[in-house]
Amino acid sequence: MAKILVVEDDPNQRLLYEEELKNDGYEVVTARDGREALEMVDKARPDLVVMDISMPGMDGIESMSRMLSQDHKLPIILNTAYATYKESFRAWSADAYVVKSSDLTELKSTIKRVLGAR
Amino acid sequence: MRDQHLTKDALAIILGGGQGERLYPLTRDRAKPAVPFGGTYRIIDFTLSNCINSGIRRVYVLTQYKSISLDRHLRLAWDRFNEEVGEFVVPIPPQQRIGERWYLGTADAIYQNIYTLEQERPKYVVILAGDHLYKMNYLEMLQFHVAKGAEITVACVEVPLADGNRFGVLSADDNLRIRGFDEKPANPKPMPGHSDLCLASMGIYIFETRTLVRLVTEDAKRDSAHDFGKSILPSVMNERPVFAYPFKDENRKAMKYWRDIGTLDAYYQANMDLISVDPEFNLYDQGWPIRTYQRQSPPAKFVFDERGGRIGIATNSIVSNGCIVAGGHVSRSVLSPGVQVEGYSEVEDSIIMDNVHISHDCRIRRAIVDKEVIIPPHSRVGYDLESDRKKFTVTESGIVVIPKGVPPSEEFWHS
Repeated sequence: MAKILVVEDDPNQRLLYEEELKNDGYEVVTARDGREALEMVDKARPDLVVMDISMPGMDGIESMSRMLSQDHKLPIILNTAYATYKESFRAWSADAYVVKSSDLTELKSTIKRVLGAR
Repeated sequence: MRDQHLTKDALAIILGGGQGERLYPLTRDRAKPAVPFGGTYRIIDFTLSNCINSGIRRVYVLTQYKSISLDRHLRLAWDRFNEEVGEFVVPIPPQQRIGERWYLGTADAIYQNIYTLEQERPKYVVILAGDHLYKMNYLEMLQFHVAKGAEITVACVEVPLADGNRFGVLSADDNLRIRGFDEKPANPKPMPGHSDLCLASMGIYIFETRTLVRLVTEDAKRDSAHDFGKSILPSVMNERPVFAYPFKDENRKAMKYWRDIGTLDAYYQANMDLISVDPEFNLYDQGWPIRTYQRQSPPAKFVFDERGGRIGIATNSIVSNGCIVAGGHVSRSVLSPGVQVEGYSEVEDSIIMDNVHISHDCRIRRAIVDKEVIIPPHSRVGYDLESDRKKFTVTESGIVVIPKGVPPSEEFWHS
């Protein structure tokens, strides 16, 4: 099963994503901010990244740009509470953009679609 | 000016980062757009003048290799605008925001500068090369782009079929929508009704900004050459409205004038296009002024008028400020500022750059002499190519190129 890196600063949300995705059979690794995510990509070699944008320290867009400069094919889903980032040109580098919700149906189907497209 | 809002909504990006290997040694110490041209200009002045004459006042120049002399020139010649009112000509060195590397291709150069587009949010991006020689009104191309409802417009010009393999060759339908695009094809497709011509992309594009960002972002995720001509245009012309804009020449001559200064021979020939009585490329049209930087220097001077002896004279030539032709004879040549030609010397069919000193009794023909070179007395250039080749670059057509920094000693020149 695919390995997913969840990047999320809020501990409760991080736990929620981790549990839900594990239940669906994915292997899950986590990071608390953009910089930790870069280290985790090197260490854990995930197949897909679910990336929060607004985080203390390095934000998700910067972290995504750096990941893509290392591996331009790494699938990345931006997962944020704010729809406003969708208009940011740099956010367009993501494979998908999901607005956060307590219902993870959309995120899960997006993960499936993005992994399926590879 | 009509449709002024179009140019206000446009941002020009000039790609100034090419290495210019084939212009070596002129590009040994400077980027190609900064190579001196036509006495007082740098190659990039023509594209920048087109921008200003078209009413485009937001211009970024993406620099890369050996950019010091280009940066200095942009500062001295083009730092005339006021960012307070949204007008600027600004060089952008690689920011390495996205990757810690040089630009991989033209599309990657834009991709790596997406942040800049996000800040400016223009409606249209005009992508230009920094090493072409032509006069073109980009406003008319913008009007065409809007009238056609294009997402991408590619400027194009007819070139001889035999030269097609050096260009991106287009085919378009009656409405000028592009239906075929081959980058440097071995067998270029002729234009309908003209078996000896094909339609070449000039490497000049107008993009809807959102389309541009979308395409370069997608391209960055693929293994490709990351180049508009090679990677992007061939794949999008069937999915998006891409149109061909036929080049309309502001030079107002019988033949359209557009030169890609790709080689030393092309560079030499383009300079020679300036000097005839009715020059192929006209620098003197007040309706389409070409701006540059000229340092303060005294007027050109021609001295000695000894009948049967020394006469200081220049014919069929461009002679810049600060030059002194002191008893020498200059013909069919381009002299940059501060050149000195001493008694009994002859300079023919040559390009002589700033502050070159040609001592007495020299014969120079079919040569390009880079800045500050001192040529000692009794030297010969262009008369014995075998001997010249031992010291200098000699082009295919036999032009001798003398780089900056060669020793001024007679031992070197007369060996």
